[in-house]
Amino acid sequence: MSTMANDLRLAVLLTQGSDRREWWRVTLTGVGAALATGFGTAAAALASLEGQYHVDMASGLLDHPGERSGVIAALLLLLIPVLGFLGQCTRVGAVHRDRRLAGLRLAGASAGQVRRIAALETGVACLVGSMVATVFFVLFLLSRWQSPPALAWVGIALVALGVPVLGATASVLALRRVVASPLGWVRRVTPSTGRGPGWVLLGAVALLVLTALLAVANTNRDMPDYKSGRAPLILCGALLALGAGAILLSGAVSKLTGRLLAARTENPAVLIAAERLRDDPWASARTHAAVLLGTVVGTGFIGVRQALLAEVNGTKHLAEDAAFYTTGVDLVAAAILVGFAITLFGLAVGAAESLATRRRGLAAQIAAGVPYGVLGRALLLETALPLAPSMLVAGTGGTAIAFWYAMAVSDFTVIPYGALLVPLAVYGACLLAAATSLPLLRRSIHPRELRYT
Amino acid sequence: MSTRHILLGLLAGGPSHGYDLKRRHDERFPQARPLAYGQVYTTLQRLVRDGLAEIDGTEADSGPERTMYRSTDDGARELATWAGEIAPPAPFVTNEIFAKLVVSILAGGDPAAYLLAQRTAHMARMRELTAVKTSPAADLATVLSADFALNHLDADLRWMNTTAARLTNLTAEVDAA
Amino acid sequence: MSDHNPSTVPLLAARGLVKEHGRTRALRGASVELGSGEILAVTGASGSGKSTLLHCLAGIVRPDEGSVAYAGNRLDQLPEKQLSELRRTDFGIVFQFGQLIPELTAVDNVALPLLLTGTARKEARERAGEWLERFGVRGQEEQRPGEMSGGQAQRVSLARALVTGPKVVFADEPTGALDSLASEQVMAALVHTARESGTAVLLITHDALTAAYADREVTLKDGVVVSAADAAMGSLGVSQ
Repeated sequence: MSTMANDLRLAVLLTQGSDRREWWRVTLTGVGAALATGFGTAAAALASLEGQYHVDMASGLLDHPGERSGVIAALLLLLIPVLGFLGQCTRVGAVHRDRRLAGLRLAGASAGQVRRIAALETGVACLVGSMVATVFFVLFLLSRWQSPPALAWVGIALVALGVPVLGATASVLALRRVVASPLGWVRRVTPSTGRGPGWVLLGAVALLVLTALLAVANTNRDMPDYKSGRAPLILCGALLALGAGAILLSGAVSKLTGRLLAARTENPAVLIAAERLRDDPWASARTHAAVLLGTVVGTGFIGVRQALLAEVNGTKHLAEDAAFYTTGVDLVAAAILVGFAITLFGLAVGAAESLATRRRGLAAQIAAGVPYGVLGRALLLETALPLAPSMLVAGTGGTAIAFWYAMAVSDFTVIPYGALLVPLAVYGACLLAAATSLPLLRRSIHPRELRYT
Repeated sequence: MSTRHILLGLLAGGPSHGYDLKRRHDERFPQARPLAYGQVYTTLQRLVRDGLAEIDGTEADSGPERTMYRSTDDGARELATWAGEIAPPAPFVTNEIFAKLVVSILAGGDPAAYLLAQRTAHMARMRELTAVKTSPAADLATVLSADFALNHLDADLRWMNTTAARLTNLTAEVDAA
Repeated sequence: MSDHNPSTVPLLAARGLVKEHGRTRALRGASVELGSGEILAVTGASGSGKSTLLHCLAGIVRPDEGSVAYAGNRLDQLPEKQLSELRRTDFGIVFQFGQLIPELTAVDNVALPLLLTGTARKEARERAGEWLERFGVRGQEEQRPGEMSGGQAQRVSLARALVTGPKVVFADEPTGALDSLASEQVMAALVHTARESGTAVLLITHDALTAAYADREVTLKDGVVVSAADAAMGSLGVSQ
């Protein structure tokens, strides 16, 4: 225990001396953990219900196990953008953190000690975020629900503690290279990011989707018409396949566009962007993973919504009143929008971090007379070039789902044209998110960045 | 620097006369102090006296008569031994700049001004040598010997810099003694 | 050799430069002149204001007080857009490292300034290749800076700084990260090319061996230029 206290003291000492961007990382990690805890505890509380209940919320949408399972799945799927966001946050100031920990390792700290210190740093940030979210959720829960069952409390506690534990574990995993070979990390060279499509992230996403599917299957087990429970399963499977396809395609396309454009372009901005893509095609693919998945879901949803609302409005004999269906649809829309907002925020954080990491080199470029405009355009093209083709695939896939659903439900009386607009809107929003870091570029020509002594 | 060993080395390639040896020495060791002809002549005579070189005859095809010298077997052995010996690394510290500083303090002069003027002279010489070695006509021997001098001057400069920073302490020490 | 003539109007002239970074005063009234085709070494201890002087002269930062004139025009009053263009066309800049884009190949790095001024890609790459050959890094055109030795990368940087035919090259510790042989190759290449093309060089260094490549030397101490005669000691690289 005394070693633990010792490590904690060291971790606190080290973070006190760290620069502003490291505090950004800690803060954003806490925010991400709070979001994850919020969605997780809500899902856990709902999952503790079994059979029919009267929940005085959302027009009775939470009353039946079938619909409830849908809501649980949606809450769990919202964790995907949160995961992506957390992934971006861990990269803020990561070069400094890695160098600091490598220095600690070279100064004689054992591998285990360095791992513990890093885990403590992230774990504490996650714990604070998770506690804040838990407290607010419990207050909200008690105001709505007189006596939640023990199972709900167990679930909430598990999520509240699980999020920091997972965060700490992930940070230890991310540090494995620093711990293994510290020497390479204290040099001034910018370390190359991990190559490949980010298996850790993909694994985590797959795990989440699996959990969501289990939750759906579980709450549906007593239903007489269990076959209808299969539709969401198939839908989820299609979404996952499309998302994974879009990510893999994004990486492959980045590589190809990079190579083709770098060889031919006459435009300096395109040249810089293309060579960066060619250098690390998976970096953008990882960043865009959640965006692409969101596009598939969003496009598909628009179609489903249009068909469903047409059905609700056109049918006289509904099992529930119309508000039940519209509220459901609106809730899903809200969930998708929240997911997008988190994803876009993560994208903006990632773009700012990419600029901050390269600010010394960029300052040298500007000093040498490369116009801000060229560097800014290169930055936007880095997002725009690889995103366009994968967005096309994701949009097409989502539209196909929308049309398939519309056909199944309404025999093509409703054509979901709205679905076609979603990819365009998402594309524009992504460019805007990337553009939020452009003001940083203007500020990066600080003489401090040009000093090498 | 052992002139006799350098002359033995030049003779190792074959018989040669005094004037030719001087010319080849100055060519081979650019930037070194040029050999005086008289010094070549006396050194050759000593080599003959010690049995390390011998007279190979005279040559008088054009101009004055010249004595040719060649190396003996003893000379070749002596040369091999000398060439393999390490040069003793600074056995005595002979530092004129330091001596002048101490004298200047003792005599109540201005050591700082002296150091400054010395530094300026060092830099001027370094620029001169750099110009010599970067000229397109410079061969490798010139570049290497200029480099040798440049690095020594650079070492002097570094020493002068640290000394200048500690001049007050040095003055106190010298005055106290 | 340099045909520097102090009686004519200098190419670059700074008068009474003052520049503060936060609470520290990097420059306290520094004045310096650079003649056309002249190679000038600026020496001084760490923190004496050498880099800040270079930044002011190259129009990278604006001085708080004083003036910088390039070919008779006040640099400190030009808008940033024109300064950027001037740095691109009339100036070449070499830092200790960092001026090459790590993702671009050597030849593209050198071709970049030409592309920025509107030269066609093919021609720009050809001219860049010629410059790489002049600096002895032929055969490595398609390598990226990270795949080269420090000396090779620095010679690519020189090629990039000189490819547009600048009037002045600003070099801030160009050999600071190199061993002695690589330093020598970089400096010889820079000085040779500058003399051949009549380019002036402002060379910042704390290494006497590097400073010896210049025609003239000024020393900075506490943000002012002290003439060689009364230059305080300790100005040259005690830290090294």
